Amino acid sequence: MTIQADEAPIVTRSLSRSFDDRVAVDGLDLEVRRGEVLALLGPNGAGKTTTVRMLNGVLTPDRGEARVLGLDPTVDGDAVRRRTGVLTENAGLDDRLTARENLEYTARMRGYSIDEARTRVDAQLARFAMGEMADLRTAGFSTGQRKRLALARALLHDPEILFLDEPTSGLDPAATREVTDLIGTLAREHGRTVILATHFLGEAGRVADRMAVLDRGRLRALGKPDDLAAELWDGVPADLDFGGPVNQAVLDLVDNVDGVLRTEARATGATIAIRDRETMARILAVLAAHEIDVFGAAVRQASMEDVYFALESGFAAEQR
Amino acid sequence: MTATTTPDVHVIRAIIARDLRAVRRSKAVVIPMLTVPVILMVVLPLVVGYTARRASRTGARIEFLDSLPSQLAEPISSLPQEEQLLTLVLGFLLAPLFLIVPLMVSAVLAADAFAGEKERRTMETLLHLPITDRDLFIAKFLTGFLPAIAVSWIGFACFAVVANAVSYGIVDGLVVPNTLWLIVIFWVAPAIATLGLGIMVRVSARCRTTQEANQLGGAVILPLVFLAVGQSTGLLLVDAEIALAIGALIWVVALTLVVRGASRFTRDRVAGDS
Repeated sequence: MTIQADEAPIVTRSLSRSFDDRVAVDGLDLEVRRGEVLALLGPNGAGKTTTVRMLNGVLTPDRGEARVLGLDPTVDGDAVRRRTGVLTENAGLDDRLTARENLEYTARMRGYSIDEARTRVDAQLARFAMGEMADLRTAGFSTGQRKRLALARALLHDPEILFLDEPTSGLDPAATREVTDLIGTLAREHGRTVILATHFLGEAGRVADRMAVLDRGRLRALGKPDDLAAELWDGVPADLDFGGPVNQAVLDLVDNVDGVLRTEARATGATIAIRDRETMARILAVLAAHEIDVFGAAVRQASMEDVYFALESGFAAEQR
Repeated sequence: MTATTTPDVHVIRAIIARDLRAVRRSKAVVIPMLTVPVILMVVLPLVVGYTARRASRTGARIEFLDSLPSQLAEPISSLPQEEQLLTLVLGFLLAPLFLIVPLMVSAVLAADAFAGEKERRTMETLLHLPITDRDLFIAKFLTGFLPAIAVSWIGFACFAVVANAVSYGIVDGLVVPNTLWLIVIFWVAPAIATLGLGIMVRVSARCRTTQEANQLGGAVILPLVFLAVGQSTGLLLVDAEIALAIGALIWVVALTLVVRGASRFTRDRVAGDS
């Protein structure tokens, strides 16, 4: 199928890429609308970074095609990169340079004159509250400061599309909230299209309009967070707190209670899926009969995390 | 290579300016890059030249000249006897060391420009900017080439001052430069710098750190240094035409390496490696 130039800002068809014998992205079909935030969700090695690299013309696909802003990134890579901004997983700052120098260099690379570059850099430094650190070398910056500066750099030329690779990793909760709020603002108020590669479910659920779940390079699920939760998570999610890791015998005991659909061990207990709230009463009765201490039991709404683990369990079962 | 248009000078200049500014702040790069030229081009000629000057006053014959073919020994043996030792030492025997400078400086800077970007994890950011593979390669090449030539030529100017000062009053006229020296400086030295870059571009593509690139590059470059040292005294004793031809040969090898390196320098390959 050939992609038409007037389609959505980002369209891919059967996009694939391998490295030696390892398949990084396998037959990816995506369509991202203008002003939309799409979260590419998946564990390390799922193919998120490779996808971003192919969309920005850094890597060439082995198979399939992509259109970004109506252009083929393989052919018109520079034209695409002029209109996109990228925050790589590692901030990619030259620690021998100051914050200002790092941004000015990028501005010059993007074709701005010295005066224009200075004006834009000053504006970005002020926007990200980094004016006081402007003339310090970035070697001494914290992870959060580095991320903020790298984000300022990605937005320097007011790009139409933003590729953000793990934008909040290493940030404290307040800084994470600031960044996710900013992403939302850029999309909703400024019509920017954002591809957010992350493995943080909370971040994806909070800011993304849709989620694309990748595993071993393949698209496993695509949709709105709530729709995915409803579609993929059957039953009622619940947590059991055993005050520590649960052993397999206890997990089997819970698994055998009528109405238990799934069990998953966690650091302090287990996450389970049950048919209804009454099932929880039966589970607690069984555990009490076996004199197993339970420090907490809660029935709740399905979260992004539940969806993700349900998908992962499915992937693992497929592998087996 | 994705581009067929003319190079974007604005972008190339921006990369070179940034790289050189960063290099100036890196002691690990600057210290070896300047120490070796200072020792080779200033300290060594001063010490050796002064010693030769003292020995020249005795007017002793240089038996070493007898072992050379008469055609090669002629430029020195035809000089007055008290000038022979100083001219031999400063004009010919120390000359080979000069060629180490462009080779070393270009290799150190190329390792920093290519492998260093990977090590600092700044390469990916660079690949996401609107610059063609060709312009990026040109910028990185010039980041190594221009300082190598500048350091070599400034170093040679210092060497010329020291050599002529040390031989003042004994040698009639200037010891350096002469025609052959000028060929070495303006023709052979840039070829040697390009050769160093051609090697390091290939080596850096396989390395993840500057140290690794320097070690692997050193293993390739050191034999070349010895070869250059061994042969360049002869280069200064031959005709200008032969010196030009030898320089041309080095240029051919160096440019072949650079062009091959450039053809392999694609975003896809670099991103796959980083």
